[in-house]
Formats: sequence, structure tokens, C-alpha cells
Amino acid sequence: MMRPSALFALCLALLCLLAVLLLAQGQRLRHRENAALGRLLVATSALGLTDLALSTEARYTRHPAVSDPMAPFMDHPGAIEHFPSGVFWAPPPR
Amino acid sequence: MAKRGIEKQLNILDYALSSLWRRRTKNLSILLVFSAVIFLVASFLMVSKALSDRAGQLLVAAPEITVQRMSAGRQEAIPLAHGERLQGIFGIRRVVPRVWGYYFDEVTGANFTVLGVDPLQMPGGDGLATALARGRLPEEGEAGMVVVGQGVVETLALENRQLFSLFRPDLSLKTLTVSGEFAKETGIMTADLLLMHPAEARDLFLIAPGFATDLCISVANSREIETIARKIAELLPDCRVLTRPQIQKTYQVVFGWRSGFASICLLSAVAAFIILAWDKASGLAPEERREIAILKVLGWETADVLAVRFWEACLVSGLAFLLGMLSAFAHVLFFSAFLFRPILLGWSVLAPGLSLVPALALGDFLLLAAFTVLPYLAATVIPAWRSATVPADSALGG
Repeated sequence: MMRPSALFALCLALLCLLAVLLLAQGQRLRHRENAALGRLLVATSALGLTDLALSTEARYTRHPAVSDPMAPFMDHPGAIEHFPSGVFWAPPPR
Repeated sequence: MAKRGIEKQLNILDYALSSLWRRRTKNLSILLVFSAVIFLVASFLMVSKALSDRAGQLLVAAPEITVQRMSAGRQEAIPLAHGERLQGIFGIRRVVPRVWGYYFDEVTGANFTVLGVDPLQMPGGDGLATALARGRLPEEGEAGMVVVGQGVVETLALENRQLFSLFRPDLSLKTLTVSGEFAKETGIMTADLLLMHPAEARDLFLIAPGFATDLCISVANSREIETIARKIAELLPDCRVLTRPQIQKTYQVVFGWRSGFASICLLSAVAAFIILAWDKASGLAPEERREIAILKVLGWETADVLAVRFWEACLVSGLAFLLGMLSAFAHVLFFSAFLFRPILLGWSVLAPGLSLVPALALGDFLLLAAFTVLPYLAATVIPAWRSATVPADSALGG
């Protein structure tokens, strides 16, 4: 019968193999993304884009780099920030 | 001698594994909770690192200086005359006015970014056609022509038609014709864009002809950005001047630990560990104490008992770390971090097809290990040491 430590080593080897496969897939995707980088840089430069189109729900999450830090609270006096994606972003530095 | 040492450690490892298997329900629960905590924190770290890396790659091409006019704490339209005043500053190569804003589509609930700029005036603008999947850029004087991002195509269902209409602020309709589409690969920057000529954007938003939303400034020498920005701020005191390094810095900070969601991940991890460490440090279960006493009666030394507990803790925490990291990697790589997507997107109707390549800096990796594996080792080994140093007969109730 197999020793418990040998069985564990086998499981560990399988997990390591899985890790290698995942890293290889990540690398493949990175190459694909880098291939599109040229087009993205052209669009960014030619249109003067300043932000990633990640969250389009509020102007300060669509364009955090060019929004005022007070923008989330500008709807009316005493307004609180209420867009869900706001929790994902730390306040931009000024 | 070394071979005997290895054989001894292997035997202890066998014993530790058998011991873990005997209490498999409890140990599997710990493994699952432990892996879930590591998965959550590692996923967040990988997503934020992937996004800030991508932003870092792309924003090297952001405008060198952007000038916005502020009034009563809000951004206002900037007179084109402001741009003409800047032409006198030495080092400025070009001042390009842009007209842009947001258009909320009430039918779909989506927010579009309408951008009116003449690309031929911008740096690298003559190559913009390479960023299109099909069609062409609007030419000057062509009324109502627009290039749309893939998110706009999907949201407005423009696959089989080229004409659509948007409302002006006075509710009159402006009809637009799709002249081209941005490539899907550029979606992270262009998904919600409607690119048109500045005159068309002015017409859509009913902005007076002598005004723009902001001014994009390119400089001859990038090392002079800060100096020129200071001169602009002195010349136009009612304007906010944003530089490319400031824009880049924003993206290195916005996905940081200070964001609310990161705090939730971190707090849940810390809370789980406090509970786990409290449970472990408050002492061993009577059966575990008995087991240690019997081992000592059988001739095991304190060091051997500690080695067993150390191996057990290493196996559980190491396996949990590995499982947590691998599942976090797969979560970001294959599922585009679907657990975080609802929070990142919020109420956004229009979402870019985001593909993320998980990335983790060595520092983050070590930090995560230090915050998870090390406390568990300490919380397990210390009570075992306290128990192993108690005489066996008293532990057995003798």
C-alpha cells in the first residue's frame, strides 16, 4: 500500500502541474493582449483618452482620472456617494 | 545520518497525514474556509494588479496635459480663446480642443461617452484607422457620421443597421450614421465611445461654437510637462491642469487597499483568522491533549510532538494557500473575476468585454503568505508546545 506521504506528494505534483498549465494559459493570453497593444495605444493617443472604460454607470467611475474628487458628492448639498462601483475605487490622489 | 533524519521526518509526515485524516471533517472545513479567505484576497489583488498594469501600459499614450475650466467647483465649457492664449507658452506643440460628454440612453439605460475630436490634429491620429474593425473615420464636413465602440453596437443593436438617433437637450432628434466600428480588442478604452467631429458633438449637446469641453495639449519635450503645466495654471487661474503623470498615478492608486471593497475582503480575512487563531490558541481539545500524552508515554520527545503539529499546520496552510491561489488565478483568467464584476460594473448597462491576465507582484505574494500561513503556523504550534511540555501523567489525569 502507498505511504500517506507518497500519496500526498502525488496530489501536490498534480496541483503543481495544474499551476503550470494555468500559468501557461495566462502567458498565452498575455501574448494575445500584447499583440493588441499597438491598436490600443494608437486609439489612446489619437483620441486623447485618459481612462479605462470599466464602469460606465457614473462619470467619476468612467473617468476617475479627470473627475473632481468631489464629483461623487455633487448631486445636491449633503449628497452621499451611492453608485455601487464606487466601493471598488479608492479616491484618486490630488 | 542525513538519510535517517529524512526517514524520521517522512515517518512523522506519515503520522501527521494520518492524524489529519482521522479528524478529516474538522480539517477539511478549516482547509475550505482557509482556501476561501485566500481566494478572496488573492483574487482582489490579482484583479487590481491586472487592471493597474493594463492602465500603466495604455496611459503612456494619454494626453500630456489636459486643461479643464472650473466654475463653482464644477467643470464648465472652456472658451476656445483660452487655447489661443496658451499658444504663446514656449514648449507647447499643439492645443487641441475636444468636445465630449455623456449621453444617457433612456431606452437601454446605458451611458455613452460622446467624444468630438479631430484625430488628425492629435498625436498619432493619422494611424487611428488601424484601431477600427470596419468602416472609416468621419471626414471633416461630413454631417452626422460617427464611429462607435463595440459596447455601443451591442447596446443599440447596430449589427444590421447604420442609422440611429439621439436626443439633443431640447429633445429634438439628431440622426447619426455609423461610419465605422472600433475593434473589439480596443474595448477596454473604446467600448462606450461615440466618436464624431467636434462640430457634430457641439450640435448634439447644444454647446456654443466658441467653446469646448477641455483642451488637450501636446508638448515638444515630455520632461517639460510639469513646467508647462505650472505656466498654464498661472496663465489660466480658473482652470484645472491635469498632467499625464497625474493620470497615470490615479490608476496606480484607485484600485488600492483604501477602496471599500478591498477593506471588506481584508476585514473578512482578518476576522476569519482571529476566530481561527482564538480557537487554536485557547488550547487543544481533550482528545488532542490525551494523544500527545500517550505519544510521550510511548517515548516521543517534545521536539517530535512539535514536529508532528508543525507538519500538520504546514500541510493545512500550505495546501490551503496553493488551492486559494490556484482558484483565484482561474477565477480571474477564465471567468474574468465574475465574483467582482457586479461590484466593478455596478449599475452599468454597457460593459466592456473585459479579459484580464492575472498578475501578482512577488511582494503581494509574500504579504499574502505572511498574513495567512504564518499566523496559522504560530496559532497551531504554540498550544501544542504548551501541551507537550506538560508531564504525560498529569495530562492523562494520573
